Amino acid sequence: MNRQRLQTWLAVSGVGLVVALGQAIPFCLEGRLPQVPGEDVVALVLGDARLEISRTLEDKAEEYFHGGVRHLNCTMESDADERGHEGHDADAHGDAEGHDDHDHHDAPAAKGVTGFDPWSWVDQHVHVQEHRHLKGDQTVEVLPWLWAASRMSPRNTQAYESGAYVLAYILKKPDEGVRLLEEGVRNNPASPELDFSLGEVLLNKLHDAAHAEPWFVSTRAKCLPVQRDAAKAEELMQLRLRAVFYLGYIAKQRGDADRVRVCLEEAESLEPQHEVVRDLRALLETSGTKQ
Amino acid sequence: MSERTRQTKALAWLAVLELYRRKDMVVVFVLSAVILLPLAVFTPFGLAGASRYMNETALLLVWLFSLVIGLGVSSRLFPPEFESRTIYPMLAKPVARGTLLVGKYLGALAASVSALTVFYLAYGLMAGLRQGVWFPVVFLQAFVLHIGFLAVITALGLAGSLLLTPSANLTMSGLSIVGMLFFGQRLPALAATQSLPGRTVLTLIHWLGPHVEFFDLRQRVVHEWPAIGWGVCLVVLVYAAGYAAACLAVAVAVFRNKRF
Repeated sequence: MNRQRLQTWLAVSGVGLVVALGQAIPFCLEGRLPQVPGEDVVALVLGDARLEISRTLEDKAEEYFHGGVRHLNCTMESDADERGHEGHDADAHGDAEGHDDHDHHDAPAAKGVTGFDPWSWVDQHVHVQEHRHLKGDQTVEVLPWLWAASRMSPRNTQAYESGAYVLAYILKKPDEGVRLLEEGVRNNPASPELDFSLGEVLLNKLHDAAHAEPWFVSTRAKCLPVQRDAAKAEELMQLRLRAVFYLGYIAKQRGDADRVRVCLEEAESLEPQHEVVRDLRALLETSGTKQ
Repeated sequence: MSERTRQTKALAWLAVLELYRRKDMVVVFVLSAVILLPLAVFTPFGLAGASRYMNETALLLVWLFSLVIGLGVSSRLFPPEFESRTIYPMLAKPVARGTLLVGKYLGALAASVSALTVFYLAYGLMAGLRQGVWFPVVFLQAFVLHIGFLAVITALGLAGSLLLTPSANLTMSGLSIVGMLFFGQRLPALAATQSLPGRTVLTLIHWLGPHVEFFDLRQRVVHEWPAIGWGVCLVVLVYAAGYAAACLAVAVAVFRNKRF
């Protein structure tokens, strides 16, 4: 009986010690613990692996966009870029908007077996080889994966961009797209891409230039810091040029020709031959204020 | 009905009864319900209408459970008989060793196919209710080819059970099947990137390994691609029959020479 009582007391003491340590350690070692306060269980368990898992989930969304087939040289991002440029022309210049399927011809996979290979023949006939995109309302199928990708890692800005693109441009739910991008900006305050996407959706889909302009301003500001990585620097310069175009476009809508001219000068200083420079010149010409 | 056919049928029926006696199916259905029910009510970003993620998950579970059941049943056909020594009275009936092996194989296959039929019926009902499309042709082809998959893996599991210990058999068979499902399609391309010893090994695996990925029509079913030609379907089934026959021939040869 005494032995049993001793064991009970030892167990209770052990539990008490664990609870006391659990309370005392964060208090005594505040600021020196590896975990960031407020992080959820997924963050604590998976750490940086979350971003990789999130990118895998995003790849799955790409696969769904192509009807379950993986096409490495065609992504929703490339489609979004094409759409972005078309939107640039279509919405800013009042043309019809739209994005059609484009033909990609994937290079045939390297074959290690020379001559007729019956197994490869069977495989080609069983598994889909064609290339197609989801269209219209069907695109809702990619959302579960993009939702999971953005929840798995809030640092995956591409998941937010792709999700917002699908919601705002394809499913015609710009308010949902704006909400998603705002969440992305909250989680990634240093990312100019999300600010730019948010400005684009507000301007092109909700026609709210007043709310869109601050996002293009912040995009431009976030693109200014000098980058050591040449590829990243080029990427940011291209983004800055696009933001500058939109700033010029909004200024033109206000009738502020001086502001358009400032934008043109900035674009010329970055890349004189860029299409944005040509477009800004066209804006100045149409307003009859070119000098 | 010849004596051999009667014996084969009796042995096969025993294997079917064994599967349902162990209540594996109940566990499988409860597990599926636990996974699929939350997914069924999930609406990402507040938008309903997505169903392919659900279909893919359901079919993944069907494949996973059919693999577990097919390999589990076939790899357990002989080891318990050897351990409990019940193989002696069975062979003393008299039943020819070949008949015993084929009977047990057909039983394992019938048990696995019966479970698969239940899975596909459940999936077909779920997809029909959600999407309003009832048992399209590509779905029936997927079911038929899945039976071919079971014919191959049960033969592989049975042959392995006579050559290896139960745990080694399950590990080796499981790895080779899952490995082929993931990489079978890409083996020629992978071989092309390797230097000589690696290339030879990969090429050998490509020619001799069980190409179970041929039986996988999930991509077509989930993403609503058109059905494959019935000629191609037949070629794949012939491949399944050939591979299963080769595995059974190895198993018969081993079993005939086995000393108890």
